[in-house]
Amino acid sequence: MRLHFFELVWFSTYAELRAERSRSYLGLAWWLVEPALMMAAFWLVFDRILGTGGPDYLPFLLVGLVVWQWFKSSIVHAGLAIWMNLALIHQVRMPVLVFPFVHLLSDALKFAFVFVLLLAVLWLAGYPPSAAWLSLPLLLACLLACAGGCGLLLAALMPLLPDLRFVIEQLLTVLMFLSGVVFSLQRVPAPYSDWLAWNPVLLLLEALRGVLLQGQWPDWAMLGRISLLAVLLAGVGLAAVQRLAPRYPKLAV
Amino acid sequence: MDSVISLQQVGVAFHAQRRLRSAPYWALEDVSLELARGQRLGVVGRNGAGKSTLLRVLAGILQPDRGRLRRADVSCQLLSLSLGFVPHLSGRDNAVLCGLRLGLRRREIDAQLAAICDYAELGDFFEQPVTSYSNGMILRLGFAVAIQVQPDVLLLDELLAVGDAAFQQKSSLAINERIHAGTTVVLVSHDEDKIADLCDSVLWMEQGRSVLYGDCDTVLKAYRAAAR
Repeated sequence: MRLHFFELVWFSTYAELRAERSRSYLGLAWWLVEPALMMAAFWLVFDRILGTGGPDYLPFLLVGLVVWQWFKSSIVHAGLAIWMNLALIHQVRMPVLVFPFVHLLSDALKFAFVFVLLLAVLWLAGYPPSAAWLSLPLLLACLLACAGGCGLLLAALMPLLPDLRFVIEQLLTVLMFLSGVVFSLQRVPAPYSDWLAWNPVLLLLEALRGVLLQGQWPDWAMLGRISLLAVLLAGVGLAAVQRLAPRYPKLAV
Repeated sequence: MDSVISLQQVGVAFHAQRRLRSAPYWALEDVSLELARGQRLGVVGRNGAGKSTLLRVLAGILQPDRGRLRRADVSCQLLSLSLGFVPHLSGRDNAVLCGLRLGLRRREIDAQLAAICDYAELGDFFEQPVTSYSNGMILRLGFAVAIQVQPDVLLLDELLAVGDAAFQQKSSLAINERIHAGTTVVLVSHDEDKIADLCDSVLWMEQGRSVLYGDCDTVLKAYRAAAR
């Protein structure tokens, strides 16, 4: 049973990636072009026009956008997964967790590929590898757990409240600005910066930038708290899907 | 008697509209049923009697909202032809995906791929994306995969005849073979002659309730009398 679940997730992921590649002319290249275009846009506005970029703004932005792109896609894709597969859920008895998992896995695989390129670009730009890179797997795992938890929670609710899909993009745009993707926490004035410092995504991004751009180890106490929160979030998401699963076959497609 | 699935006063409710506090609609009100291993049960009733809902409960897709359902450790398959083929994937990849969705293990499917290609009469098209398939080819592939599953309980919503005349004969032959091979079968159909021919017992349903349950002659006679 367990093994069958993994086989199903694995092969569906392969099918998803394969289908995605043939749906557009540029295929795989879009995974690189999209963050590059975003980076150009933000660099133009914040650095060139407004002049609020600060030193090292380009690599700062690059790390933020590449990671955010993954984080956001995981939430959106996983969030829509069950709702989009209701027709299938009506026809065959299948563990519904498969659907969000497939998207989390395929987005993670795409990100892995882009992330390796990011590391290479940073190295070429004068940010060589350091011992602190050893903390990368933990930081990325925390981000995955946070995205997975949010995505699963959305996935669980979306079939019951399909109206959610109209607000999810806007919510994520707000979250992007609250997560310091395009500006640094140090540039935010006093009372707001304290509030923003509660956002685990922002803290993880700052830690990630510290590791990649300054070779700085993350703050372990902070990382410990965030790991706990991330695991909790993932657990809530899983429980929500399992709890609501019996209701999906009864919903209108 | 070796019971595989038993239902006791089972009911299933749907919410017809996406509104807050809309009243539930009971597609199944009160159905009791004892399905024995090797039994071939026919289900008759007018449209909207809840026959298809009953099949989905037996398949384990729907869970009852009231009543009791007991299921022995058996696999059930509701025979269905299109489990969402992915357009840009080859026939082979779609067959694997479809088989996994039907609960087969990867090595079981791999072992049957040649047979599936053969049965669906796809030839070289098996390696082509299914976007290049005709409707008939897609149906044949769907049937070829579905018939490879060997469930303990086979659930049929009308006898599916697929494709051109020759393949129709081949597919109904495969289903007949399966029915006579000792598999437990539940067949929903409007074709009373087929039911009399293939089944050993019949359940008559009306408006979500079981009206009469027994051997073919008795139930079908009563059903026909009521229909007049």
